[in-house]
Amino acid sequence: MPVDAKLSHTAAMILQAIHAGHIYGFSVMQMTGLPSGTVYPAMRRLERDGLILSKWEQQSIADADQRPPRKYYRLTRDGRATLEAVYQRYPLLEKMIPTPQSKVEQRV
Amino acid sequence: MKRLRFYTPSLAQINISAASLMLPRRDRDDWTAEWTAELYHLCYCSATHKPQADPLRFSLGAFPDAFWIRCNLLRSAALPLLQSGSAARCGIILSALAAVGFLLCLCLPRARTALLPFHPFGPADLVMISGASYAGAQAPTIPLENYQEWQTDTDKLFSQLAWYRPTIKNVYATHRRTARLSVALASNNLFRVLEVPLPAAPAAHSPNSPRLILSRNAWRTWYHSDAHLVGSTASIDGQPVTIAAVLRDDHGQFPGKVQAWLLEDQLSLAQLPPHAKGFVFARIRNSAFPAPRGGIRVMTDARDGVTHCFDCISVDWLARQPTSNFLFALLLACMALPATTALPLGDYPRRRDRLALGFHTRRWVFLALKFVLVLAVVYPASIALAWGPSFTGSTAVFLQVATAFLALLFAFRWILQDQRRRCPECLRLLSNPARVGQASCNFLSWNGTELFCDRGHGLLHIPELATSWFSTQRWLCLDSSWLCLFAETPSPSPGMV
Repeated sequence: MPVDAKLSHTAAMILQAIHAGHIYGFSVMQMTGLPSGTVYPAMRRLERDGLILSKWEQQSIADADQRPPRKYYRLTRDGRATLEAVYQRYPLLEKMIPTPQSKVEQRV
Repeated sequence: MKRLRFYTPSLAQINISAASLMLPRRDRDDWTAEWTAELYHLCYCSATHKPQADPLRFSLGAFPDAFWIRCNLLRSAALPLLQSGSAARCGIILSALAAVGFLLCLCLPRARTALLPFHPFGPADLVMISGASYAGAQAPTIPLENYQEWQTDTDKLFSQLAWYRPTIKNVYATHRRTARLSVALASNNLFRVLEVPLPAAPAAHSPNSPRLILSRNAWRTWYHSDAHLVGSTASIDGQPVTIAAVLRDDHGQFPGKVQAWLLEDQLSLAQLPPHAKGFVFARIRNSAFPAPRGGIRVMTDARDGVTHCFDCISVDWLARQPTSNFLFALLLACMALPATTALPLGDYPRRRDRLALGFHTRRWVFLALKFVLVLAVVYPASIALAWGPSFTGSTAVFLQVATAFLALLFAFRWILQDQRRRCPECLRLLSNPARVGQASCNFLSWNGTELFCDRGHGLLHIPELATSWFSTQRWLCLDSSWLCLFAETPSPSPGMV
């Protein structure tokens, strides 16, 4: 995936949400306010394009919480580079979905 | 309301299970597990009350997700089909050519008649009598006087005889337009000889008035499918006739491009010039010709010290003539093939794993499929070329045999050469030919060409000169440790997400 790839606003929001630590599908939905029928197919496309990576959490963690294991998503190196490029296109994206790091910076 | 809230997670789970049916079996469990885990989290772990947190609404999103995955899989599966050198692409091209050939045949009326089982009318003992072999099956060759003599002279040979002569006539139906049709002046018993059922004479029909039978095509074109036409009176060049019936489409094509038949008694036919030529259909007696009845039988007629020869061509055999010609050409091509190329497909090591049978079967199925598709391409193409234009019978037969023979020979040669240049595992064409060895060092060594499979399945060694230790091409399998040397299939370029 080239760094200058054009992402739609929805895809950029989802990418930023994952970057901000909302690593599960449902938490991305909660953060962005998008319905499940939009979020999950968009995440599949991002994964196909190599911008994010999915992984099942360890069974032991799920067993400890007495729930089924969840699939979580994280950004790849290409995804991070693409997100940096996307900030030029959508300057408010970082403010809409702030990362923990940017929250700390804002407080300081 | 409480009960509905209780049932909502179950309904949501049903939705997810239903959506999972859209996915291939291998991806279904993983996908369902992800959606079920998220649903569980939403129902029992999440404290949010946003609209997206409604389990039922959440589960409806599973359908677009499953649909997207299915479409994406189909798209990625379709890509290899179009890749150059793939077996699927080869099959698609051959199938498309076969379809074009069949469509071409269907568009050319004469070729369509030759392609489809023609002359469905007529019993097994029906023959056409021709004065010019095959040409007589397309153009009228029998004078009326011969027909009239045979009616009495050949009663041991034929049980029934019928004659017709196509001519262009103006047909005028009352209150309707005048149609210029190719009308066949025919003996009364023509349809009885052909065993084509005709409806009973209309009530208004006068016994002295000749009956006119219209073809379905003429009825549609000239009389706009008028349902009340049958039984009405028409006039042909001033002679009143009764339109007695409209023939069905499935009653075959009659030689001479006839659009209507005027059935007349023997007295009316006798008024025609004795040298007027027409077509003769006859039913041969069981005792006259021994079985088999197909093909051509020669009938001699000696009059005035001169012997005339006529051919009795079986209508059933005539109908199968294009197929017979093609089969004959196929036989010739099979016999000539070993003279033009080597038949062995090469030396392939026997695999002993459990997938060996599948690989071998796929290779042989692909080879057989190519042969079948080539036959499906050449058969209609040869018919369209030979019978489509207005060639006479013998010219069309010669053209069909010649074109089918040449096309089949070169196509079979290509099939074998193509099969030898394919990877036995993925059936893709091998690439990157490289010269190996020196021509001067043939003793205990080899020189020739080496090709490899793009996907790293193996190498093909083709010797330049066949020797006792390297007589035919050899396939060398590579194990999976070699895969890192070969380029991966390029991933589809990402677009707008």
